Amino acid sequence: MSASEFVFKSELWTAQYTGIKANTLASFSKALREVDNDTIYYHLYRNLFEYHFLPTEYGNSFAYWLAENGFPILAEKFSAIDLMECTCLDHVREEMLDILYGNSESADKICKPFYFIRAVRKIIDTGIRASNLKEFSMGIRRVGTHSLFYHLVTSRLSYREPLNDFSRWLLEIGEEAKARRIEKLDLMAYSLYEVRERILDILEN
Amino acid sequence: MFEDYAKFIDEGTLRELEIVAKELKGIKVLHVNSTKLGGGVAEILYRMVPLMNELGVETHWEVIKGDVDFFKVTKKIHNLLHMSGRDKLEHEDVITYMKYTYENVSVIDTDPYDVVFIHDPQPLGLIVKKKKNQKWIWRCHIDISTPDEETWKFLEMFVNGYDASIFHIPEFVREGVKIPAFVIPPSIDPLHDKNRELKEDFIRHVLEKYGIDPRRPIIIQVSRFDRLKDPIGVMETYRIVKRRYDCQLVLAGSYASDDPEGEEVYRDVIEAKGEDPDIFVLNLPPDSHLEINALQRSATVVIQKSLREGFGLVVSEAMWKYKPVIGSNIGGIRRQIIHGVTGYLINSIEGAAFRIKLLLGNPEQRMKMGINAYERVRHSFLITRHIRDYLLVIHRLLKG
Repeated sequence: MSASEFVFKSELWTAQYTGIKANTLASFSKALREVDNDTIYYHLYRNLFEYHFLPTEYGNSFAYWLAENGFPILAEKFSAIDLMECTCLDHVREEMLDILYGNSESADKICKPFYFIRAVRKIIDTGIRASNLKEFSMGIRRVGTHSLFYHLVTSRLSYREPLNDFSRWLLEIGEEAKARRIEKLDLMAYSLYEVRERILDILEN
Repeated sequence: MFEDYAKFIDEGTLRELEIVAKELKGIKVLHVNSTKLGGGVAEILYRMVPLMNELGVETHWEVIKGDVDFFKVTKKIHNLLHMSGRDKLEHEDVITYMKYTYENVSVIDTDPYDVVFIHDPQPLGLIVKKKKNQKWIWRCHIDISTPDEETWKFLEMFVNGYDASIFHIPEFVREGVKIPAFVIPPSIDPLHDKNRELKEDFIRHVLEKYGIDPRRPIIIQVSRFDRLKDPIGVMETYRIVKRRYDCQLVLAGSYASDDPEGEEVYRDVIEAKGEDPDIFVLNLPPDSHLEINALQRSATVVIQKSLREGFGLVVSEAMWKYKPVIGSNIGGIRRQIIHGVTGYLINSIEGAAFRIKLLLGNPEQRMKMGINAYERVRHSFLITRHIRDYLLVIHRLLKG
């Protein structure tokens, strides 16, 4: 992406069952170590996209499963993983394994099964471009929520940088204040439709 | 028609669908199922096929032929896959299934297509027609995780000939299925008579027609008359609630004329209703979509107390109408309701009664949950999401 042009992309995904299921904490940890990154992605990011606008109790399906099976502390810790700070799926996997480490006492307790699902991901070019602030606002208005989610959340994994795409581009064109304000938006507090409105407000006022 | 959906999602999301579809331009897709009318599969295809064509992906729909004997066997297979132990697949059943499969092989032309979707077990055997350069997908709409072993052994050879399968939820996948299993929940069509917005006058008219009082709380379960939907359990739930709240119960559904079990369940429900004037057992014709829609919209609380469920899309249909739903903590219902956010998941009659009372006593909570429920469906269970999933699966299979 050159400094003069912002390319609006989007990421779509569907789901594929990996055939791996876990019914103890021990088998859950083992699977978490072995599944591919797209599976980690599915259970963390797809969940964030699906539920971020609802006042859910936990932040991802791993946490829900842990809570449902009598591990509330682990559930809270999994839930607290901040994907806005995450730039590498291997690191987040390690973080989760670290949380699980040391829970050998109830590791073999039989739980309801957890089904590991892989995200089948596809990044597309929406065909929308911006080379100035006005076009940028227009683009934000025109793209779908998947595109907003990609640029605000998951592109951090591609750039390995804890900064959203919109803010990165605004920094490049010298709009530092706007960039910082967008980066500070709390995605857990608003729906992506509301986030869009807030970004437009930041850009246009 | 496609643009009509923009008001439910957003233009950008629709455009993304067009982009993915454009990459698939030139390919031909065929859907095959067992009926043009009635049932969830036909309902979805009825709208999905023209929408796919409008997106530029040439899509056709064929229905297999068969007589009463064939469909008796496929119904038996359906039941045996869904739940073992009730019956047994006989040698003659296999002969009948194969006979009609081969008749359909010669009637249904699958050769011109790049991708063939086969829905459910009835047309499964058509796989013998698969050509080397084609991709065949088995779209299974039922839970086959614990099938009758003999029946599964018979069908397994067909299943494993496919390039991929699609299930509603991972819990429904039979262990040992060797082909990739995608997980795609079904969807509702917001423009269908079942779900479209209705005028208040019409809703009032429907309530009047059945003598339901619009001023008192209405608890409703919409489902066919089937023991697995636990209508008697719903009545017991209502009776617990009734001790505290002056409410009404509507059990609305239907049973087919050739479904003796349905008629028997209906009679049992009528008997269990007794003389209670606040219980309304409505056996409606299967195409009473507008009336069902009106009844759901008039409900204060919706319940779905199934003992076993395919997916239970009726839950999403109620959620789309801003209703908090109290549903059994099983299968697809678990995937739709977020406990404490869009409704409640319950495990017993007492649990259901407790949650209903909680909601009847708290209109603000009902409203909040109703809004959450609507948003949940808008985000995850509309037909546009379903089409996107299918396009992505096709893309994955054809283009890697």
